[in-house]
Amino acid sequence: MKKTMKTASLIMAAVLTAMSLAACGSASAPTTAAGSSAETSAAETTKAETTKAEETKAADSSKASGYKVAMVLDSSVSDGGWGASCYQAMVNAAKDSGWETVYTDNVATADFTTVMTDYAELGYNLIFAPGNQYTDAVKQVAEEYPDIKFALLNGTVETENITSILPDAKQIGYMAGALAGLMSKTNNIGFIGGMELDTTKAKLECYEKAAQKVNPDIKVSSAYAGSFSDTAKGKEIASSMVSTYDVDVMFGDASAVDTGAREALAGSEGRYDIGQPGDLGSADHKIIICSVVTDNAALLKACMKDVEADTFGGKTIYGDLSNGCLSIGTFSNLVSQDIQTQYKEIVDQIKAGTFIQ
Amino acid sequence: MKQRENLMKVIVPVLSILVAFIIGGIIMICLGKNPFQAYGFLFSGAFGSSRKIAQTLVIACPLIFTGLTAAFSYKCGVFNLGGEGQFVMGAVASIFFVTKSGIGGIAGILLSLLIGAAAGAVWGAIPGILKITRGLNEMIVSIMLNYVATLFMGYVYTTLLRDGSVPQTFAIPDSTKLAVVSKSFPVHWGVWVALFLAVAGYYFLFYTSKGFKLRAVGLNSTAAFFNGFPVNRYVLFSFIASGAVAGLGGSVELHGKQLRLMGGFGQGYGFDGVAIALIAQLNPIGTAAVAFIFAVLRKGASTLQTGMQIPTAVVDIIQALVIIFAVAGTALLKLPAIRQYINSHMGKKEVTN
Amino acid sequence: MNAFFNMNFLTELLLSTIRMATPILFVALAETYSERAGLVNIGLDGIMSFGALIGFLIGYKTGSPTTGILAGALSGVAINMIYAFCTIRLCAPQIVYGMAINIFAPALASFIYRLSFSDTSTLIQGVSMKAMPIPVLCNIPVLGPLFFNHIPLVYMAYLLVPATAVFFNSTKAGLNFKAVGEFPKAAETLGINVVLQKYIACVICGALAGIGGAYLTICYTSTYSEGIVAGRGFIALSAVIFGRWMPSGVMLACLLFGFCDALQIRLQLLSPSTPYQLLQMIPYLCTLFVLAFFGIRKSGPKANGQPYYREER
Repeated sequence: MKKTMKTASLIMAAVLTAMSLAACGSASAPTTAAGSSAETSAAETTKAETTKAEETKAADSSKASGYKVAMVLDSSVSDGGWGASCYQAMVNAAKDSGWETVYTDNVATADFTTVMTDYAELGYNLIFAPGNQYTDAVKQVAEEYPDIKFALLNGTVETENITSILPDAKQIGYMAGALAGLMSKTNNIGFIGGMELDTTKAKLECYEKAAQKVNPDIKVSSAYAGSFSDTAKGKEIASSMVSTYDVDVMFGDASAVDTGAREALAGSEGRYDIGQPGDLGSADHKIIICSVVTDNAALLKACMKDVEADTFGGKTIYGDLSNGCLSIGTFSNLVSQDIQTQYKEIVDQIKAGTFIQ
Repeated sequence: MKQRENLMKVIVPVLSILVAFIIGGIIMICLGKNPFQAYGFLFSGAFGSSRKIAQTLVIACPLIFTGLTAAFSYKCGVFNLGGEGQFVMGAVASIFFVTKSGIGGIAGILLSLLIGAAAGAVWGAIPGILKITRGLNEMIVSIMLNYVATLFMGYVYTTLLRDGSVPQTFAIPDSTKLAVVSKSFPVHWGVWVALFLAVAGYYFLFYTSKGFKLRAVGLNSTAAFFNGFPVNRYVLFSFIASGAVAGLGGSVELHGKQLRLMGGFGQGYGFDGVAIALIAQLNPIGTAAVAFIFAVLRKGASTLQTGMQIPTAVVDIIQALVIIFAVAGTALLKLPAIRQYINSHMGKKEVTN
Repeated sequence: MNAFFNMNFLTELLLSTIRMATPILFVALAETYSERAGLVNIGLDGIMSFGALIGFLIGYKTGSPTTGILAGALSGVAINMIYAFCTIRLCAPQIVYGMAINIFAPALASFIYRLSFSDTSTLIQGVSMKAMPIPVLCNIPVLGPLFFNHIPLVYMAYLLVPATAVFFNSTKAGLNFKAVGEFPKAAETLGINVVLQKYIACVICGALAGIGGAYLTICYTSTYSEGIVAGRGFIALSAVIFGRWMPSGVMLACLLFGFCDALQIRLQLLSPSTPYQLLQMIPYLCTLFVLAFFGIRKSGPKANGQPYYREER
């Protein structure tokens, strides 16, 4: 009887394994779902990913320069926001420079140092930490491994082997606020934050200033979701902003939460969203009127060049409008040509520093 | 007979770990990775060098604390699911003390740890008091308090004690950091505290009369009551004691590893501790051992991910399977039908009750 | 403060309450069935995340929200069978298996998600269930939009409440069911197949919890992200205890929680200077205060949480 129990448990385990195998199977087999581009590109990227993984193992590809970069991320790479865009940035930068990439996501705070140490031990040349929250871990591991270089996004640390990358949060806020001010018909705009990072606070402040400069009657409602992944909460916050304050343009700094907010906006006419940090809109998008694009890839590429040239470390690389790291995304057709021209002028002013004194 | 039973108690968890690993290996093959290489990475990641063993121990430390919390309280019949909240409150109290009082050095550390334990004890007493006075189910109270504690900690590091541009508190002053054993074996002294508590807990529960009484209350509170044991007082005591252990764990983690409070501090330790305690069958020393195994899996998972790009979810699945099989195996052995089978197989007469 | 007395604000708040309470209600009802049969299942969070993923995946592939919900239910049952087998047949401690499911199911969900969708920069949009207003009733001035303009699943959740109450109190099957949770040995002597009833309870629990999870990714939002469950399983657990294991009480508990959650978001907007964490504590503190105030003497089905050994007579 003991045997039957054991076999029963093994059968259960086999069933679960079968489930996972089925999942494997579905990833490679083409599906008959409505052939949306996302689906086919997902299948392609899966194939590409497995081949990339094999390449990484073999450590030699057509364009390999022999350099490797690793990213440590506390959220998920598929969060549709910060994590995803940082990952894309790394991949794009690496593709241009012929580097290999690898990442670990969903890393718990307590594991930052462990994961970074692992990568350092494996000999990765550059470790990319996309956020200020990694500062402690980066400082600690950088000290123990002086030959490994660290790129800290939104950081303020500069040592021999740490370079900080700082996109200009103020300009991001100005850009978003100006557009919101121009587009809002109800004079009420909204802002959703994830956590109260200083960069988020700066963005909010400048969002408000810029909007009010463009349209002095603008009122801003803001809320913090307290999370970067609770999509449902984003939806709730956005719908209450819309119904209580008649907000018609929103801007978010909260990754997956922003996606939820957009869903709420989709439910009513004439409610819009400004995306960031990637170029999330398109010409026929009904919700996203434009994005404030942060080209983290260019900044990372600069770091990679430094590593190759052995000039790394001891500086902060700023990303703003003047060096092209911040830019206007794709306008949706909902934004009239008139407003587009006005906006571009304002952005030029922001770039020159004359918009808000 | 007892020897054989004890042997079974060890064989079953080991066997279940093996089975879980085999299934994990199958999943890895499905992903196109070599399972032997993967397990090689996992174990080298956890044991590869003295520094790595130290890192594993550091990961195990908070798990031992919360595991002991759960083990101690369950042994006394109370379901203290508030380990996480008590852990966090201990750390919060410590950071307040260290930042505001400015006392440094060994005195600072000791006082801070004490205050952490006290905070944890208070936080653990709340469900206890509510259980005794209002008859509230302690599971729900402790879970609610977990959320409140984590949110309060969020408030502390976002607003009250904020340091700089990210939501996190100041770092504790250097003089209050827990020392490490050595540069090449960088495990902080907190681990020894944890292990000491494990042994002390074991001794207390199984070799003292007070411990015996607590266990009696845990096994059958009605009988204990009718034997004159002050059940309510013991229940409260178990809450306070287990809360104190968790709070101490939070303090230790703050002083030894994290050095400041930030988002994600203490996340998951409470419930992991519960799982650990239950696998170890509420034995304090067993708890420490199982916590170590969990830490190995956790550290190994990270190395597996970085070295072979196997998603950490796979190791999570393996970890869950270990729990499932280990506990299933032990439960299997306790089933009367199985017992009968084993006894007849061993040639002994079955003892009827 | 005058925003409070705005009718629009109140209606929105109540609508939000109903919306936010629904997933918790599904899961709380699931747990009610389970605990009434004597099985404490704390793995609800895990079942929800798995149901959320499978529901999303199937909904995405087939384009039909209903299929997605069904798939969510089935996947919930599948996962819960692990729990069922180990706790009923092997009489293992229920809390452990709940924990194990909480670790296992989200990991499996995340794994399958990775395999199916790989890395993209936007969250995949799945299907969405449309609201289904009830023809005449939804035009009643205030109550209409509040009660009668919802997604079908919401109606189902709230209809389940009286259905469950009737089941437990007035049907023979329901009374047998409850007997299993109170005095399994007595029930066995009456000819009730205790083990079968427990399995049935697990099936119902898994199905409802799976639906609750699928609701999050199909009806509530139409995307899946890791962490979408956000601890709702544990809230549901509290709701069951809060509601004293009665469907009506459970529903009230879920509504209270949904109300506090909806309120907390609006309070944030109204007073941006208050630290948002303090506002977020409101639902939990509220539950605690109400509990402490009323006190609960009843501790649930008497054989709750205890393994049933058939051989012991």
